[in-house]
Amino acid sequence: MTAAIELRQLSKSFGLAKIIQDVNLGIAKGERHAIIGPNGAGKSTLFNLITGKYLPTTGSVHLHGVDVSGKKPYEINRMGLSRSFQITNIFHNMTVFENVRCGLMWSMGYKYSFWHMVNRQHDLTEKADEILEQINLTSRRNMVAGALAYAEQRALEIGITIAGGADIVMLDEPCAGMSHSETDYIVDLIRKVTEGKTLVIVEHDMGVIFDLADKISVLVYGEIIESDTPEAVRASKAVQEAYLGTTLEDA
Amino acid sequence: MSTPSTTPLTAGTRRLIPLNHAMPWIVAAICLIILPYVFDSRSALTIMNQMAITIVFALSYNMLLGQGGMLSFGHAVYMGLGGFFCMHLLNMVEYDGLWLPLPLLPLFGGLFGLLFALIIGTFSTRRAGTVFAMISLGVGELIAACSIIIVVFFGGEEGVSGDRTMGPEVFGWDFGAQSQVYYLTAGWLLIAALGMYLYSRTPIGRIANAVRDNEERAEFLGYSQRHVRWISFCASGFFAGIAGALFAINFEILTEENLNLATSGSILLITFLGGVGFFVGPIIGAIVFTLLQTVLSLYTEIWSLYLGILFVATVMFFPGGLAGLLAMHVLPWKLGKLGHLIAPYAKMFLPAIAFVLSSAAVLEILFHRRHASVGDHEMTLYGITFDSHHLLPLIAALALAAVSFWALVKMAPALKEAWDEATHMDAPGAGGAS
Repeated sequence: MTAAIELRQLSKSFGLAKIIQDVNLGIAKGERHAIIGPNGAGKSTLFNLITGKYLPTTGSVHLHGVDVSGKKPYEINRMGLSRSFQITNIFHNMTVFENVRCGLMWSMGYKYSFWHMVNRQHDLTEKADEILEQINLTSRRNMVAGALAYAEQRALEIGITIAGGADIVMLDEPCAGMSHSETDYIVDLIRKVTEGKTLVIVEHDMGVIFDLADKISVLVYGEIIESDTPEAVRASKAVQEAYLGTTLEDA
Repeated sequence: MSTPSTTPLTAGTRRLIPLNHAMPWIVAAICLIILPYVFDSRSALTIMNQMAITIVFALSYNMLLGQGGMLSFGHAVYMGLGGFFCMHLLNMVEYDGLWLPLPLLPLFGGLFGLLFALIIGTFSTRRAGTVFAMISLGVGELIAACSIIIVVFFGGEEGVSGDRTMGPEVFGWDFGAQSQVYYLTAGWLLIAALGMYLYSRTPIGRIANAVRDNEERAEFLGYSQRHVRWISFCASGFFAGIAGALFAINFEILTEENLNLATSGSILLITFLGGVGFFVGPIIGAIVFTLLQTVLSLYTEIWSLYLGILFVATVMFFPGGLAGLLAMHVLPWKLGKLGHLIAPYAKMFLPAIAFVLSSAAVLEILFHRRHASVGDHEMTLYGITFDSHHLLPLIAALALAAVSFWALVKMAPALKEAWDEATHMDAPGAGGAS
């Protein structure tokens, strides 16, 4: 079976700085894969390489066996990969409902249509309302997204990300800056909406990682030093030395 | 707790949104039909035609600026080229026997505008922001320069003129009469405005907003920001071309002036004056601008100075434009508290009028002193005739301006207080409109 995401000898340099070095990684279909590592390890860069925001310097990215290196973010999205952002990235001036609808339009076949009236498309409205229900924002439906509370904006971000029905979902620090109860809420939400999908998640909160992930990759200075089950990663001497230290025992 | 009880937001909505969405359009159509009976002079018809053309042009411009977030300094290119091509089509009708009923001409103007937007858009819409603005400026200058160089097509300094009445008659109309041209223009105004309104409600229209607000997010939702901008740009060019054709029909002449940077600049100002954030903004802007331009210029030579002051004041104090100013009052209205504002507004009305008139008087007197022909000391302002070189009128005007300004400043806190009261929500509820 071909992997959902496969990275082959992937490297990225900015000028002389090598941010990602010869990364090889396979993420199986349906797997919940977490990427962890200290600050500046290159987690976000890796995300941006996979989603098409950056071009790889060398090496390649494959989705379901298809080489997508050099493709634009929108092309990669159309192949069924969707992502969220570390810094909340929603349409602040639009209503919550419209945000979700924007996430739906391409995948539901409306594309660049100028012969449909969006408000008349009942399938679109119904689907958007369904997603609002899933992310518990139905009561905020007609509010301007910029006016939402932070945790709600993060939930909306996840809603937009999964709206298009992508089978690979990549979440960049979905719990950043959240309180404990908010984190629990978002983790439940993530579990719910990514049911049966391939999930790639970057997160600092170890509780979240060990709660969600089937597999964990540890990225240190642009290299993956370990990629295994949570138990194995927890036990790994190399990982403990390089990054986790004693915090793992506490987690 | 005042008027509409516990749910002020929903209480007002029913009155605000018409039962039938078609209502505003039907009202607009009826207004357009009866307007020539109210203002039946030839000059009034000309002004209304010019207004209609400017409205179409400004609305098309707002498809870029307001809806697509593209600041263009060269939008006159698409209106101008559409107009020039239509002028040549009119001449072909006259001399080569081309069969083309005049009412269909704007469609061809639109197609020519679309064609050029399609070509120029391939490279200009690659990036938004400054890059787009600079390319639009460059293309604008390029085409304006071409219009002087390529005499065969643009007619050099005299421009290209023609005769609209040479085509086949439509229901007995040959479009020689101004009123017939008015109805043709009004009809196309309605078609174009409705078209642009509906466009904003389509998937591409909505995603154009999304790209304007956050192009990166839109890319990760499957939309190419470049394609979205390009399509918006083409649609905008199409409607600008319609405006160009209407110009050709009305004035029967197109010159370099129709596609130069001054025209591109003024449509930006008109749109901004009306308000880029609202569909009706450019309509209001075009109406106010055309009125000021035509009516004010009858009374004063320095009308463009007043327009300039108005623009600067709008940009500084009301970035939402005139439509934004109106929209600010929606919240008090929804809360049923518009009444709170009537008293302070009424109190400020007289000093405001006095301030505007007296400051204008200062400018007029100064202008007369400097620019009237030698020995001409007599000027008439607001029905009063006086010696403009005498100091007394100038001092009187200055004093009145100062006093009325002082009065306005004194009244400002009361207005602010009334405003806060009028926009204050009694019931705890969702965030307010901005």
